[in-house]
Amino acid sequence: MSDQALTYLDANGASADGPAWLDVRRRAARASFADAGFPHRRVEAWRYTDLSRLIAKTDWQPAVPHEGAVLVPEGRSNPFAAIASHKLVFVNGFFRPDLSELEGLPTGVEILPLEAALESGTKFETAFDANGPEAVAPIAALNTACAKDGAVIRLGEGVVLDQPVQLIHYTPDGGATASHTRNVIELGAGASMTLLEAQIGWGGSYLVDRLTNLTLGEGASLTHVRIEDEDAQAVHIATVLGDIAAEASYVANTLATGGRAGRLQTALRFTGESAHAESNTAYLLRDKQHLDTTIIVDHAVPGCTSNALAKGVLDGEATGVFQGKVIVAPHAQKSDAKQMSNALLLSRDAAMNAKPELEIYADDVQCAHGSTIGELDGDALFYLRSRGIDEQTARRMLISAFLGAVMEQVPHAEARDVLSERAASWFEHQTSGEA
Amino acid sequence: MLEIKDLHASVDGTPILKGISLTIGDGEVHAIMGPNGSGKSTLSNVLAGREDYTITKGSITYKGKDLTELAIEERASAGIFLAFQYPTEIPGVTTMTFLKTAVNAQRKARGEEELNAVTFLKLVRQKAKELQVDEDMLKRPLNVGFSGGEKKRAETLQMALLEPSLAILDETDSGLDIDALKIVADGVNRLRAPDRSMMVITHYQRLLDYIVPDHVHVLAKGRIIRSGGKELAKELEASGYTDITESAA
Repeated sequence: MSDQALTYLDANGASADGPAWLDVRRRAARASFADAGFPHRRVEAWRYTDLSRLIAKTDWQPAVPHEGAVLVPEGRSNPFAAIASHKLVFVNGFFRPDLSELEGLPTGVEILPLEAALESGTKFETAFDANGPEAVAPIAALNTACAKDGAVIRLGEGVVLDQPVQLIHYTPDGGATASHTRNVIELGAGASMTLLEAQIGWGGSYLVDRLTNLTLGEGASLTHVRIEDEDAQAVHIATVLGDIAAEASYVANTLATGGRAGRLQTALRFTGESAHAESNTAYLLRDKQHLDTTIIVDHAVPGCTSNALAKGVLDGEATGVFQGKVIVAPHAQKSDAKQMSNALLLSRDAAMNAKPELEIYADDVQCAHGSTIGELDGDALFYLRSRGIDEQTARRMLISAFLGAVMEQVPHAEARDVLSERAASWFEHQTSGEA
Repeated sequence: MLEIKDLHASVDGTPILKGISLTIGDGEVHAIMGPNGSGKSTLSNVLAGREDYTITKGSITYKGKDLTELAIEERASAGIFLAFQYPTEIPGVTTMTFLKTAVNAQRKARGEEELNAVTFLKLVRQKAKELQVDEDMLKRPLNVGFSGGEKKRAETLQMALLEPSLAILDETDSGLDIDALKIVADGVNRLRAPDRSMMVITHYQRLLDYIVPDHVHVLAKGRIIRSGGKELAKELEASGYTDITESAA
């Protein structure tokens, strides 16, 4: 039993007056989380991100709805605003119908807040049963015990959604508050869509925990573009738990720049052959920011391909973490899995921890993983400057080139431009640093 | 154009240049020849402003001003161009983007109007054609996977676009076969002008058959040990560096 977890659950746990199927799961999750506690550095998968310590000494209280208009500071507005989309907006973790745009949804498309879906009697038993592998399971339990709202997006068989769906989370209020949201995304066989997700906050000290359950049916395709820009004092965890059926494809591209400490954890499992998964993450950190990118891909069936790429730029005293794990089941022949972490340290005080792991039980597979940690190339800087390009511009050119591989792979053209511009704006606050 | 007086420079505390004096007038082409390790590349890097090199004594005056006070990029905008012996590969930056950034950075630094995309494209296409640089090469990341000849042609293209007052060609002939050498030399010769001086650094006399210098200097152990006209290069070709460095010692 963990006193820290019990105190937290007493204050932040969801009330047990929901539907019976949910209450059963909440009680089990609560018991399991109370038992294990917040993960800490003696738990191998959390060695570099001691969540227990990060949230300690704070009397966390549940976030409350933000009354009235949301005054968004300059530079923190919805980065996808210019892209015509269906839109769900959450503020402090609560759905805001007045800011959302859900009119005119095509047939076979269901987009609504979780609370409304539960009230209408929809059951999400499979999603709430999914705890994922050990590395993410404690947070899955915490989320199940505490989540009150979130987004539900369901596409029927063969539905191709032309307009993207935006999922925008604003956190304008802090003061040691915590929000837990649960998204459930289900694509029927052959369905296809683009999800544009932004998590943006400026409320100071707060904790956000967002968990997304993905289920892709046979041949379904989901393009997921994420921007994570929480307040520089916030602690944030974003978890994706995905089941990917035969011939389905999940492609995620993330740009993370915010938070005091954060963890982007993704656990994907192939449930049918010839499926594909891709996760490309770019993160830009400064000062004492910390970001942990953890990705686990379970090749449980033969013939699937996966590719995980994380590229980090670390300035100041920032720390980055990459934990990658590929599991190939004994019969999962012809699996093809790649994992790569590249970090660029702009300062002597920045640090990177990379831990790629392979667990391969099949013999006819192609698996590759690697990790590089380096500085800006002094020869390249000299070359650019010797052509008249000033030092700051030269540094930006080289950093952009380093991130290029992540940015260029965004399949949605407008979203790709949004990510590139956002990365460029990060440089505006960039001090000269060390070469 | 350029006046170097008693220049001493060291790398990581090791003295490399030990008292070089050299004057290059407007429009003159000077060849600097010498064996490996004589300080030829150090001289070119010191002129371009590379920060790993420390000037311990002496002066460099360029167009009447103290060159050593200028940052690397300021020297470039003031008209100094170093054609690298081994041009650096820069993945993720296309050649075209790089060229436009460089040209406009220099124009901006000189208070000139920046070129728009259309004007720039026209200019690049015309110069690229003269140097047999095809458009595909311009779309590739700078110098990445370029052959030896492509790299040197790309350097010459940069020089043609940036129109420097003082071009320093560091071992431009290295890694080139005779056909590639001719293309590059033609490109360089087209840039010869009364207001443009050149310093051609080379180990071999071969390059000087194509880029004919006004003056030849022999560098050995960090000093200029002989200077003369273009016939000095021929003499070196016949006798080698050993004779001349020993007779000077």
